Amino acid sequence: MYYLEINHLRKSFGDLHVLNDISLTLEQGKVLAIIGPSGSGKSTLLRCATYLEQMDGGDLAYLGKKAVTMDEKGNSIYAKPAQLKEIQKNFGLVFQNFNLFPHFSVIKNVTNPLIKVQKKSKEEAYAIARGLLKKMGLEDKEDYYPYQLSGGQQQRVSIARALALNPKVLFFDEPTSALDPELTGEILKVIRELAAEHMTMVIVTHEMSFAKNVADHIIFMDQGVVADQGTPEELFASENPRMREFLGKFA
Amino acid sequence: MKLEMMISQMTAGMVKTIGIFAWTLIFSLPFGLLIAFGRMSKNKILSTIVKVYISIMRGTPLMLQLMVVFYGPYYLLGLNIGGSWRFIAIIIGFTLNYGAYFAEIFRSGIESMPVGQYEASKLLGYSSRQTFFLVILPQVIKRILPAVTNEIITLVKDTSLAFALAYMEMFTIAKQIAAANTTFLPFIIAAAFYYIFNLLVAMVMEMIEKKLSYYH
Amino acid sequence: MCVTVVGAMFPMGTFAEERTSLKVGFDAEYPPYGYMDENGEYTGFDLELAKAVCELRGWELVKVPINWDSKDMELASGSIDCIWNGFTINGREDDYTWSVPYVDNSQVIVVSKKSGIEKLEDLAGKIVGVQAASAALQVLQDEEQQKDLADTFATLQEFSDYNSAFVELQAGSLDAIAMDIGVANYQIKTRDKGDQFVILEESLNSEQYGIGFKLGNTELCDQVNESLEELVEDGTFAELAEKYELTDMVCLTSDEAE
Repeated sequence: MYYLEINHLRKSFGDLHVLNDISLTLEQGKVLAIIGPSGSGKSTLLRCATYLEQMDGGDLAYLGKKAVTMDEKGNSIYAKPAQLKEIQKNFGLVFQNFNLFPHFSVIKNVTNPLIKVQKKSKEEAYAIARGLLKKMGLEDKEDYYPYQLSGGQQQRVSIARALALNPKVLFFDEPTSALDPELTGEILKVIRELAAEHMTMVIVTHEMSFAKNVADHIIFMDQGVVADQGTPEELFASENPRMREFLGKFA
Repeated sequence: MKLEMMISQMTAGMVKTIGIFAWTLIFSLPFGLLIAFGRMSKNKILSTIVKVYISIMRGTPLMLQLMVVFYGPYYLLGLNIGGSWRFIAIIIGFTLNYGAYFAEIFRSGIESMPVGQYEASKLLGYSSRQTFFLVILPQVIKRILPAVTNEIITLVKDTSLAFALAYMEMFTIAKQIAAANTTFLPFIIAAAFYYIFNLLVAMVMEMIEKKLSYYH
Repeated sequence: MCVTVVGAMFPMGTFAEERTSLKVGFDAEYPPYGYMDENGEYTGFDLELAKAVCELRGWELVKVPINWDSKDMELASGSIDCIWNGFTINGREDDYTWSVPYVDNSQVIVVSKKSGIEKLEDLAGKIVGVQAASAALQVLQDEEQQKDLADTFATLQEFSDYNSAFVELQAGSLDAIAMDIGVANYQIKTRDKGDQFVILEESLNSEQYGIGFKLGNTELCDQVNESLEELVEDGTFAELAEKYELTDMVCLTSDEAE
């Protein structure tokens, strides 16, 4: 059983075809990195997988449970809202811009969904949150407000917030793009640690060397299609001209 | 009339002025939020109706609206009016008018919220009701507070328009005392009353603003 | 639903079989006929007269201060039963059901003594103030009355209350005010430095005050007329007139010899 399975995903914005026939699978404990030039559709792929964008065609399943199915023409059919909500519990997303709630303290950012959505007791929620904040190296920041933190610290809070809900699959949408270069390291370190703990993750990233050493599998997207894919070793040795051209920009 | 008597009469009027002010706020803020939802509704018919409503409320004088509300039941339905209807009509009129203004303030605040806040809420599993009341509204309130303060201070001064329905609020009484005693003194007292009241309003709003300044 | 709620809240007083109260509409900025007294109570010649009528009839007097501009709507909608407040009959004969006239009034011009204005014709080219929706305004707009005179004014300036009009007269932004003689007397008597004003001998017209009821409400009108007559007979009416220094003006007398 795949933790995440997408088949023949299509997505257009008006006349613009953003994604074309994308298929991918992810097994438990694996890390998938998605790379590619801006506008290649990698963020849209991630947003389709997390319900933030509506798929036009293709299907989507988490742990074998179908959130989206296909009709005979390949058009997407969404499951009922209750079922979608149930399946949604399987995944979390870390945004490029953190999207922390500015009016909540650090700890409240983490505990509020636990209390309000998962209906956990206050004590339990705080225990979970404190554990995660400690893991993120933020145990002394729980009463701070997001604006008082650096970008890297904010992103670590948002990772803690996503982890608190105990997702089976965690998505990262360019988690270091909004950070100053000297702050990206601390986030990549956290993700590496999660990978070592066999967290199942999908990471959209620009950090080539990071993708290379954290991912089990890399998908290279270009112009809305999967242009190349494989293990890091395979991909970075690929003869695919578009892949080579893309890598050349980072050389 | 002795000065103490003047002040005591006008204080009685001030109680009524504050009554108009308080009831209007209590009803028009939630009503304004409701109108804002209608205005932002995806239902074209509803949003158009609300848009026209707001445009009428903002495009015609409040005094006229008060008269329409008060006399409307008689002219449209043939009902006899009087008694407590005078006050109820004033509160309805003020609420309809101020609700429209507050709705536009709420709308501007809600529309200024970054989409990321909605997306994060969705991913964390909040229902849309939870998203609005836990995440969006508290931030909107902070954003719109200066505009709301302006509106509230205007409301204090607008209460004097209740004279159009001969409601004995403070300014109407001031005019009557002035007429009977052929003096301008009541108007000076009225100015002081309004100013002090608005000073208090501004202080309260500043306190709320301070209270909300714990985050950016 | 709206109908039942409003209907229940506001019983249809006008059609009630047995009247228990009389809702008198008046302008509380119109001394000496209706105004707020030293103690903050509404009083005046007209209101005391209304009270006397109500006492005779066993009615409760409900004093409803109104905005003068809205008097017709207040009456039509039933929030008041009558307009009783130095209310001029002339020019409005067909708009209301009128009681017997009880005050002979005239519309006059008040000027500052220093102004040098002595006759109506001196008003040519002057700024003359008049209360909005007042009888004085009606006289000045009526072609059969004083419209020709009004046409000689530089401006006919409408104002809402007499107090500010007198301040304007004092300040010189108005040259003259057209108004009821009773109100003019009250203003000159009670204003600080009121003796600097004078009423022109030549008046604009003479007219009469009555109580205005909703057109067709003769039943109530007759009852009030009856009671007024009683008050004239027992001397109450004359007493009130004296109290408010209106003895020269009232036109109901017991000996009918007038």
